[in-house]
Amino acid sequence: MRKTRLSDRLLQISTILSTLVSIIGLGLIFQFVFARGLSLLSIDLFTSNYYGHNYIAELKPYEEMTYSMPNFDDEDVFVIERFGIALRQGIDLAGNGVVEVEYVHPDSPFNTMISAEVGVDTVDMDANNIIDRISYVDHPTSLSRRGAEVMASELNDPERVINQVFFADLGGGIRGSLITTLWLIFMTLLMALPMGVLTAVYFNEFAPVNMLTKTMRTFIETLTGVPSIIYGLLGISVFVPLTVALTPAVNTNLIAGSMTLAVIILPIIIRTTEESLRVVPQDHRAASLALGANKTQTTFKVVLPQATQGILTSTFLAIGRIIGESAALIFVLGAIVRDRVSIFEQSTSLAVHIWSMMTDEPANIALSSTIALLILAVVLILNVSIKLSVYLFEKRGKQ
Amino acid sequence: MMEKVISVENCDLFYGDFQALKDVSLPIYRHKVTALIGPSGCGKSTFLRTLNRMNDLIASCKVKGSIQFNHEETYGNGYDVIELRKKVGMVFQKPNPFPMSIFDNIAFGPRQQGLKDKVKLKEIVEKALKQAALWDEVHDRLNQSALALSGGQQQRLCIARAIAMEPEVILMDEPTSALDPIATQKIENLIEELKKDYTIVIVTHSMQQAARISDYTAFFYMGELLEFDDTKTLFVSPKLKQTEDYVTGRFG
Repeated sequence: MRKTRLSDRLLQISTILSTLVSIIGLGLIFQFVFARGLSLLSIDLFTSNYYGHNYIAELKPYEEMTYSMPNFDDEDVFVIERFGIALRQGIDLAGNGVVEVEYVHPDSPFNTMISAEVGVDTVDMDANNIIDRISYVDHPTSLSRRGAEVMASELNDPERVINQVFFADLGGGIRGSLITTLWLIFMTLLMALPMGVLTAVYFNEFAPVNMLTKTMRTFIETLTGVPSIIYGLLGISVFVPLTVALTPAVNTNLIAGSMTLAVIILPIIIRTTEESLRVVPQDHRAASLALGANKTQTTFKVVLPQATQGILTSTFLAIGRIIGESAALIFVLGAIVRDRVSIFEQSTSLAVHIWSMMTDEPANIALSSTIALLILAVVLILNVSIKLSVYLFEKRGKQ
Repeated sequence: MMEKVISVENCDLFYGDFQALKDVSLPIYRHKVTALIGPSGCGKSTFLRTLNRMNDLIASCKVKGSIQFNHEETYGNGYDVIELRKKVGMVFQKPNPFPMSIFDNIAFGPRQQGLKDKVKLKEIVEKALKQAALWDEVHDRLNQSALALSGGQQQRLCIARAIAMEPEVILMDEPTSALDPIATQKIENLIEELKKDYTIVIVTHSMQQAARISDYTAFFYMGELLEFDDTKTLFVSPKLKQTEDYVTGRFG
């Protein structure tokens, strides 16, 4: 009797221990991603380019005036009231001193400048840009290596007339990968959602139950478990040549990527939709048929609308899969981060962006973690959306 | 001589190897209520479903013999089953409104026939709801979900939905078995009203119900039609011992 109790207790404890280990494992991932990635998270990250860019610019004609500047309680920040900008003495990732732009007044002549480059009219200076040097008419140039304080005092000198400003933005943004990811979601769903739903309708409503359809069902179920790199092989041998032949694309590209993803998410959509079709009461089909509606009308007017919630769930699941996919996309979309995205060219989704940076030398763990954080957040939101949609549909059904 | 809407002659029905109906012959008279009674599994529901060919949904189901609706063989070659179901409506055991608004439920049938005119649809919905004695209860909330109605109201909605197609015959498969006594009585009163315009065939487990509302009663047993007569005769002086035992509640 005592022995039984002991083994029961052990079993109980082992369930609790296992739960703890799982929670800790998941917690560690979140902790790692948060600790490494949170510092880089900002709106600028989503709107700026990945690659840095150097600019040469001249000031537009301006009036001499004194700008009222916000108060920077920081000894590394130097305010230039004459031009309405503030500079910060900073240190870059390699440990060198740099002059960062801390603040640009909206009316400042630095805000929008005339570009000295061919083919570009104007160039904007934003906070976080790096100033390399500023040259003057009949005065020695301000150099960044002499520090922000010296540069600020020289700029504040009313004698000096600016000739050219040499500055750079550091890059490190994920705008391109974000746009690619949105394109992927849009095009993949456009292809896979109608096809998946119609396939599910065929299997559940029209297909005869025989060996052939049973085999096809099993086949589709199996596809859910196929590693995505194998879909990548399919993509590179079928979809890439196909898109190269039919579109302006010359290499791996976004359309081929979407096609491959569409094949990956098709089984998910088919299965989830089928599950929700299966729970539609047989009585509703019978009632519709008894009213003289034909099979097609019954299916599309009575049965399919009741599967809306399942279709929505499958859409959310599919978006999660698209955002998280990397292996197959490296093959068919490429691993080159792009700032200008074209659907006929290579680019990276957010997940592949991580892969690209981690295979770089040196690996950019900070930005990778930030993207990971973003992906985790989106997946979390998608899961909550599924729960929320289930709840809302149930509530609406009872009204 | 009363007019037959439906005439069934020597009907055999098989589910695979199992014979569910054996040589059933039965007339359905116009503007009368015909009740089908018998113990569970006797084939009365199966018989009801042959009348609008709902058994077609079951792949293994085979029907032999003659079933005529307005003197046309419904199982004959080239007979349009959709046309049959428009003329022979059906109400099911469990209320089964679609998860749509009350209005859309009733407009469903006419809409599937291609009717889009909103004024006409409104007329049809109002007329059907009035005939089903539901109009007063729901006229101010036609756009609400039909699932919010009570069980009895849902069943009357299903009757209204069938009426909206303006059928000649309404088949009812134990329409009150899922309802409480008050809702049941409302449906029974409704059937009394409906028989002025429609022919009704009703499957019921309740002897009292059959006695109360029907003009003719058919007693099914083990797939056979044992006795068919006008209700009064069948209940008061049945020809067969089995019928008497059943209607007096000695088995069932």
